[in-house]
Amino acid sequence: MARGVGSYIIIRGLMIIPTILILYTIVFIFLRILPGDPILAVVGTKNIPPEQLAHLRAMAGLDKPLYVQYFDYLFRMIRGDFGVTLAFPQGKPVWEYLKLRFPATLELTIFSFTVSVLLGLITGVIAAKNKGTKIDTSMRIYSIVAYTLFIPWFGMMLQYLFGVHFHLLPTSGRIDPGIDLQRITGLYVLDSILTGNWEAFTSAIRHLVLPSITLGMVLSGAYTRLVRNNMVDVLSQDFIRSYHARGVKHWKVTLYALKNAFIPVITLMGLQFAILLGGAVLTETTFSWPGMGTFIVDRIDYRDYNAIQGAVVFFAFFVGLISLVVDVIYALLDPRVKY
Amino acid sequence: MKKPVLSLFLVSLFVLAVVASGCIGGKETTPTTTTGYAEQIVIGVTDKVTDLDPANAYDFYTWEVLNNVMEGLVKYKPGTLEIEPALAEKWEVSEDSKVWTFYLRKDAKFADGTPLKAQDVVRSIERVMKINGDPAWLVTDFVEKVEAKDDYTVVFYLKDSISYFLALLTTPPYFPVHPNYKPDAIDSDQTAGGAGPYKIAKWVRDEELVLEVNPNYYGEKPKTQKIIIKFYRDASTMRLALQNGEIDIAWRTLRPTDIESIKKEGKFSVIEVPGGFIRYLCLNTQKDPTKDVKVRQALAAAIDRQDISNKVFKGTVEPLYSLIPNGMWSHIDVFKEKYGDANVDLAKKLLKEAGYDENNPLQIELWYTPTHYGDTEADLAQVLKEQWENTGVIKVEIKSAEWGTYVDYARKGQMMVYLLGWYPDYLDPDDYTTPFLKSGANKWTGTGYSNPTMDEILTKAQTIVDQKERAKFYEQAQKILAEDVPFIPLIQGKLYVVTSPKVKGVVIGPDMIFKYYTLYKEA
Repeated sequence: MARGVGSYIIIRGLMIIPTILILYTIVFIFLRILPGDPILAVVGTKNIPPEQLAHLRAMAGLDKPLYVQYFDYLFRMIRGDFGVTLAFPQGKPVWEYLKLRFPATLELTIFSFTVSVLLGLITGVIAAKNKGTKIDTSMRIYSIVAYTLFIPWFGMMLQYLFGVHFHLLPTSGRIDPGIDLQRITGLYVLDSILTGNWEAFTSAIRHLVLPSITLGMVLSGAYTRLVRNNMVDVLSQDFIRSYHARGVKHWKVTLYALKNAFIPVITLMGLQFAILLGGAVLTETTFSWPGMGTFIVDRIDYRDYNAIQGAVVFFAFFVGLISLVVDVIYALLDPRVKY
Repeated sequence: MKKPVLSLFLVSLFVLAVVASGCIGGKETTPTTTTGYAEQIVIGVTDKVTDLDPANAYDFYTWEVLNNVMEGLVKYKPGTLEIEPALAEKWEVSEDSKVWTFYLRKDAKFADGTPLKAQDVVRSIERVMKINGDPAWLVTDFVEKVEAKDDYTVVFYLKDSISYFLALLTTPPYFPVHPNYKPDAIDSDQTAGGAGPYKIAKWVRDEELVLEVNPNYYGEKPKTQKIIIKFYRDASTMRLALQNGEIDIAWRTLRPTDIESIKKEGKFSVIEVPGGFIRYLCLNTQKDPTKDVKVRQALAAAIDRQDISNKVFKGTVEPLYSLIPNGMWSHIDVFKEKYGDANVDLAKKLLKEAGYDENNPLQIELWYTPTHYGDTEADLAQVLKEQWENTGVIKVEIKSAEWGTYVDYARKGQMMVYLLGWYPDYLDPDDYTTPFLKSGANKWTGTGYSNPTMDEILTKAQTIVDQKERAKFYEQAQKILAEDVPFIPLIQGKLYVVTSPKVKGVVIGPDMIFKYYTLYKEA
């Protein structure tokens, strides 16, 4: 505890900078190594005269030497400017896209995260409490099956079942067509609460169910195992036995045990959140969810250098922040951690 | 520690409760108007609207949207290739067909009620020329200058006599746009539109586009008040949305397998529309072994187009034997006449003359791009490989590159034999010949093809006004194409609109543009 929380946060926060710089450099180099460029990818097979191609390239700044392009974009980013899109449509601030797409991914991530933690905790606790029984075995099988589920396949099964077959839930998108929702944060559930638009609220929640379960369930497997193993350890410790001996209620003992088993889970939660952000790509594609994952994939297809660089850096920055927050929470919760 | 765990459980329970309450609601019904038609129709697409500025938009689906919220001086009569007056009531053309004078309607207005005058037409066209975006060549290659003689008279002065100028005028770069569009910069998300039957009410990129009836449209009012377009990532999700009743129409583009099974299900109306979209093979005429015309001819002879249509596209496309599509004036089945289908004997004979036989087979690299033309592309390459290898004299190696790389390779002439596709810019044989076959204009194809006779024929065909005369030149051009074989036409796409049985009034012409104003849904 010598340096205090403040300096720990600052040092830990500063570590994000080299991470981002390295990532930006890698992305920049890889994009330029690939044959083709954004202008060609947009123009495709259209019959555009070479002079006009050159003009379009110059407009996008692609006629400048590579090192100039590299530092231009780097300095722009430092100023908080992610440049403009180079493909479909050209010249639109990348930041506008990030503002539009990121909340969609964040909303999906938050809900999937909730589903995965909830499922993981419940199944993990049940398994631990019934250690060595058939229930334990079935929970362990669940964790393996959940972890190995292929998102597009599982998502489509849910779409068929709850959408096409039972007509209970929408199969794609974020909200029903034609619903007017004032955009404040871009998180539709939150926006609908803030504006008191309950039609939009119900619609947004209903649209979140299937993608959140798909993504959340896949990642819940890891929690099941971790919670189970930690709970088994904790439940066999002396202090738990003494609780039982003192006649403390059963559910209260479970809660105490869960509290102690929870610390390693928090580390996993930090990592999982980052994985969820990335893993959203497949879920977003399966459910036509207009988030960051699909945005980056689209942009890679069109070699939109600025958009890809901007999105990757923004993503990395956000993941860095989450991981920082998790580390700090972990340090605060576990007295053994030194700053 | 007690608190976070408890609150986590509580939050989760809350979410579950809300979800459960939402589930009970079921689906909403579509509101109806007093006319008895549904007020809104939801259309699903897997395409994107890239740019709402006609000065820069250059893809087929965006052009469709622009065609619904804007209008040009002339337009195609729905479902036909017949050009009829639109914002211009009538027009005159000078004897040398270089000066075109258009007289505008006096009741044309933009969606907000601003009157549309000749100056708006001039401003819009000059804007396209100034911005010089992707589709600008459709104006700048042909138009010298444009003038407003008075409030309702527009005069175009062309660089050369252009027989198909009216067809060019139906394309979005010629559409007058609202004064709100930035005068000299691309305005990609501008929703002010033009003077079309619909106006843009809401636009959330890649999510939803809502069109509402333009109250100031001069023509007949659309039957459906609101058209909502939902954007999908892939065809299978769109199909599920159709089956779940989330959309009324699944438009561009379901997969051939989806169309086949939807047809079998019989729950939806499947409307087939002839399309001007063509697929073809490019052959590098500058590098061995395809430098040898006999090799190119042999490859053309060995292909079986009906087999491709059946195996790869489940019969959802039709065989194509020329670059000019089936049904367009001047089209002739030149490749069928010269080579037939799956003519293995002819292929072997030609290859023998070129110095290849079973012991010394022709080695071919066939390229495709995996996603740009849909997920049937790998199958298409495989079927072509089988057909060529059936001759016993050709060995095929299949290679692929994703779109950004593929286009670069094509333009640089680095590939030997490769698959490409073409959506027309304007509906005239010129758009299916000049960009492919005329020296210089075809640089983008990477085939390196050049034939002075062909160049001369195509130049003449461009400037003659009489269609019958022009047709003779295009027929000649197609015969030379079949002889020189820098391209092998394969198939012509059909379009499929899949609708709920209540949706009526689907009219799509050879221009492949879906005009939403004819649509309605029975309540």
